[in-house]
Amino acid sequence: MSATESQQEIIQYVPFMSFVHPSFWHSLTEMKLDVDKLNETTKQIWGRFTYRSDIGAVFEVDGTSFNKVPENEQLYTNVKGTIMNKNTIEEFKSIDKAALLNSVGKVLWTSLQDKSWISVPSSLLKFIILSFADLKKFHYYYWFAFPAPSQPTVYVKEKSTNISTHFNTNQINEITQSYKSLELEQKCFFSIIKDNDNIKVKTLSDLLNSKEGLQKDVDLSCTYFVFNDPSNGNNPGWPLRLFLAALLEHCPSLVGSEIKIIGLRCSATGGVENSKCFTVVVPKDVKTVDAAGWVGWERNDKGNFGPKLANMSASLDPVILADTASDLNIKLMKWRLVPDIDVDIMKKTKCLLLGAGTLGCHVARDLLAWGFRHITFIDNGKVSYSNPTRQVLFSFQDCLNGGKKKAEAAADGLKNILPTAVSKGIVAHIPMPGHPVGESLKDETINNIKIITEAIAEHDVIFLLLDTREARWLPTLIAAHYGKIVINAALGFDSYLVMRHGIAGSPAEESTSVTTTWIPGGSLGCYFCNDVTAPGNSLKDRTLDQQCTVTRPGVAAIAGALAVEILVGLLQHPLRNNAPAVYNLNSDTEDIPPEMQGVLGPIPHSIRGFLHSYQTVAPTCAKFKQCIACSETVINKYKEEGLEFLLNVFNSGNYLEEVTGLNELHLTAEMTDILTFSDEDED
Amino acid sequence: MNMTTITFDEFLASAKEFEQKSKELGDGWTLKEDKVDNLKTYLRKNTFVQYEDGNINHLLKVEYVIFYNLSYGVPSFSFNAWNSSGILLTFDEIRKMSFIQINEKDFYSVITQQEHPIFQRPYFIMHPCHTETLLAAFKNNTKNIIVTFLGLITPLIRLNLPLEYGL
Repeated sequence: MSATESQQEIIQYVPFMSFVHPSFWHSLTEMKLDVDKLNETTKQIWGRFTYRSDIGAVFEVDGTSFNKVPENEQLYTNVKGTIMNKNTIEEFKSIDKAALLNSVGKVLWTSLQDKSWISVPSSLLKFIILSFADLKKFHYYYWFAFPAPSQPTVYVKEKSTNISTHFNTNQINEITQSYKSLELEQKCFFSIIKDNDNIKVKTLSDLLNSKEGLQKDVDLSCTYFVFNDPSNGNNPGWPLRLFLAALLEHCPSLVGSEIKIIGLRCSATGGVENSKCFTVVVPKDVKTVDAAGWVGWERNDKGNFGPKLANMSASLDPVILADTASDLNIKLMKWRLVPDIDVDIMKKTKCLLLGAGTLGCHVARDLLAWGFRHITFIDNGKVSYSNPTRQVLFSFQDCLNGGKKKAEAAADGLKNILPTAVSKGIVAHIPMPGHPVGESLKDETINNIKIITEAIAEHDVIFLLLDTREARWLPTLIAAHYGKIVINAALGFDSYLVMRHGIAGSPAEESTSVTTTWIPGGSLGCYFCNDVTAPGNSLKDRTLDQQCTVTRPGVAAIAGALAVEILVGLLQHPLRNNAPAVYNLNSDTEDIPPEMQGVLGPIPHSIRGFLHSYQTVAPTCAKFKQCIACSETVINKYKEEGLEFLLNVFNSGNYLEEVTGLNELHLTAEMTDILTFSDEDED
Repeated sequence: MNMTTITFDEFLASAKEFEQKSKELGDGWTLKEDKVDNLKTYLRKNTFVQYEDGNINHLLKVEYVIFYNLSYGVPSFSFNAWNSSGILLTFDEIRKMSFIQINEKDFYSVITQQEHPIFQRPYFIMHPCHTETLLAAFKNNTKNIIVTFLGLITPLIRLNLPLEYGL
């Protein structure tokens, strides 16, 4: 190498940085699912680049990249490419990347030998994308390459200079105008002849002899080879690499000479005043393209040669989209109206719904709407033709072929509404007091008790949504034993009761003073305590869950909604299950001290509604010391004797009264009537 | 006639004029007209934004889309931002960028991520409920309603609006 050459620097090309529009993955996914399926055909696609003063050489693809004809965006240069989408990650990984690039390069080079690039200069540029689309997870592995021959190596003589050092303002304006009028496919590579003050833009067909070398009249000293330059720095962009290789292949006379290059940088307003001039020196011993391999794989974000991963699940996976969109409803409440609300508590709380009928379906849907995700149903029945119009998780299909199990159909219904719901159905019959078990059903009953007990233990909240009074006894007892939150709802023809239960072990009524205006949440009565003291039980209103759900349809929707709202109120209260209930909720809530209220306001103990008069009352009642379901006596008896105690209760209608001492109290006939379950209730 | 809302035809006429002006200024707004379904007509601008997070410089692409909201009878503003892999920025990432000059409390009442009525993909959409009132004050003395509309938004979002539009 001569002394002058050693001062020159090897030319450095600025590589492209790929930039993918989200719609590219949308289109690729559609293409793979609807058209290609398992075919691994390579596909022609389009990409584009432009010069920008503020950022480097970015190469873009988007949803329109798969179109047959490229979209022409103003000032962009379209580049033809291919995408090779592999079927498996193994194929994607194991393919020989160097060999792939060489074979693509070889094809490209052979097609250039026929000289068609001179009339269509844009055909010099190519790109490939090697990809693997994991369409279950919406993960896209991809790797861009911009094939270019690693040889020939040329040198730059001096630092690049602005175009204004070679051309005056008038000439630059002329270049701007001439460039605008060039055909699109000629804009990538062309030439400018500078003849004193005159400027002449020549396409490559005008400049080059179609067989070899330059046209005869070309004077190299006043010829500038121009390429569309995406770089915004001192070094030229990647397209020059291909231009020089093609030029040197076509014009052997250029070997050993100096070539003037313009990197044309056209700004958004159409001016070319940011363009750069380079002087390139071609050494005498320059190597040919064939002498070496092809390069151009893009580096990933870590700076290594390796693929990139686009995890598009958040914007492409419909399941995730549904989940985040439904979460957003709750978050909007927090952001816009109730800043103190705890959004996550609903997600974490596990709800067990005993009964998957009209009430169960309504409660489940409202839980879902409030952001609950763990919902389990226990029910023994099957979906019948009369159900779907009222029981909003079922459809006609569920009734066919004898009907699906309600618990399972309800869980499936929930997951159809929101696939991220964690829901299952447990098919089990709930044993009831005063319903003798008998030998033949003993094992099954014991098994059911076990299933129900385990289910209650596993969940945080127990909803009692059953259609008989007796069926509520066992879950009330077990839930009290495990200290769970219990929400109870029962329906009459045009009336309803919704209530929360107290906590086992909390003091009963006599410890609360008469002058107090509230009861601590733990000391509130359960469904069975409060039957005794519940107001307004006229004969008509005693239709409450005694008439097998002959109800006005709106009643279940109202009661189900209130049951869920009471639960949410509790969960959003700092004391949770211990949240106090005030005696008089009718007063303005502003008069209720803040510590009595949660984030969402005061939480009643119970709500009784009467649809015929459109009225609700919210009675607050303390625990009953001799309650047949939640009193110390009963729970201790259950703790000590377990299964044996339960079986005794099921087999005898009077056993509970003996245990609690109720029969020693001289109760009114009315109370006995309520507490002694009759077989007629079942009908 | 309701004087505070604008009709689709008024929107379209303003959008066409705005696109023309943008072309002259090289500002990058393009109008995509859907003649079959008018309401799928929109103005769009794509631009790169550099965003520094610690020492790392992220290159993001931001897309602004203005479309006509039939229910409110006003232009609606939506946008999205993604990185080089096409991964959309999340709500919180967007909020943390100085890209938007709205405090946290107001942010969520102004901007919601939801399915875009035209593209059926998640976008950040500015809530149109205040637009009508704001535009009403300008409606009768504005040359171009889109310019006025963007003039109201630019203080909130990093979106360059050249003065040559005739603000």
